[in-house]
Amino acid sequence: MAYIGVSKARHGALTTAGQPIPSLVQIQALVDTGASCTCIDPSVLNSLGLTPTGIVTVNTPSTGTQPHTALQYDVSILIPGALPTHVPLIVDNIAVVAAQLLAAQGFQALIGRDILAQCLLTYNGQMDEFTLAF
Amino acid sequence: MPLEKELETYKKKLPELKTLEGKFVLIHDEQVVDTFSSYEDAIKEGYSKFKLEPFLVKRISSIEQVQSISRFVEPRITT
Repeated sequence: MAYIGVSKARHGALTTAGQPIPSLVQIQALVDTGASCTCIDPSVLNSLGLTPTGIVTVNTPSTGTQPHTALQYDVSILIPGALPTHVPLIVDNIAVVAAQLLAAQGFQALIGRDILAQCLLTYNGQMDEFTLAF
Repeated sequence: MPLEKELETYKKKLPELKTLEGKFVLIHDEQVVDTFSSYEDAIKEGYSKFKLEPFLVKRISSIEQVQSISRFVEPRITT
């Protein structure tokens, strides 16, 4: 589980403009070491009223041999600790790629290596578990 | 596509920006505003200068960096 909100920078601009700040959106996210960047479903980005602030080139199995262009949005991401007393991981300003994820897979975001680079990820295959420390 | 004009400006100005490889450039319309050492600084300046108007923040790279996603997803150029 994670929470997505407007970036800290956009938060300031909305406040200055006297516009309401969209509430954080609770989502299911998948830790994906195969993703170089964090991806979020457009439905989540739309619900935050975001406009794009970046463009990147992306390779996925669905794009075949030709990389595709994708929009980036600046957001904030909060990943809670395992217990309420644990300090959460908060990323105030991060560019995420808008990618339509299969709803049937049950998540709205891929936590990519850009965020994992700030964590210690341990995979224990024999115990069938992983830990993410931050 | 959103930010089309800004992307065009980036491509046009890339030969001049090449010496700043790895930095983040802030572009509004056809204007290169400034470059920054971090994404965070660039996005803050973007909102500070242009409020909620469109602007582009892009990492300067003479060879376009390609992000890779091994899972089957559909990258979007519109929302």
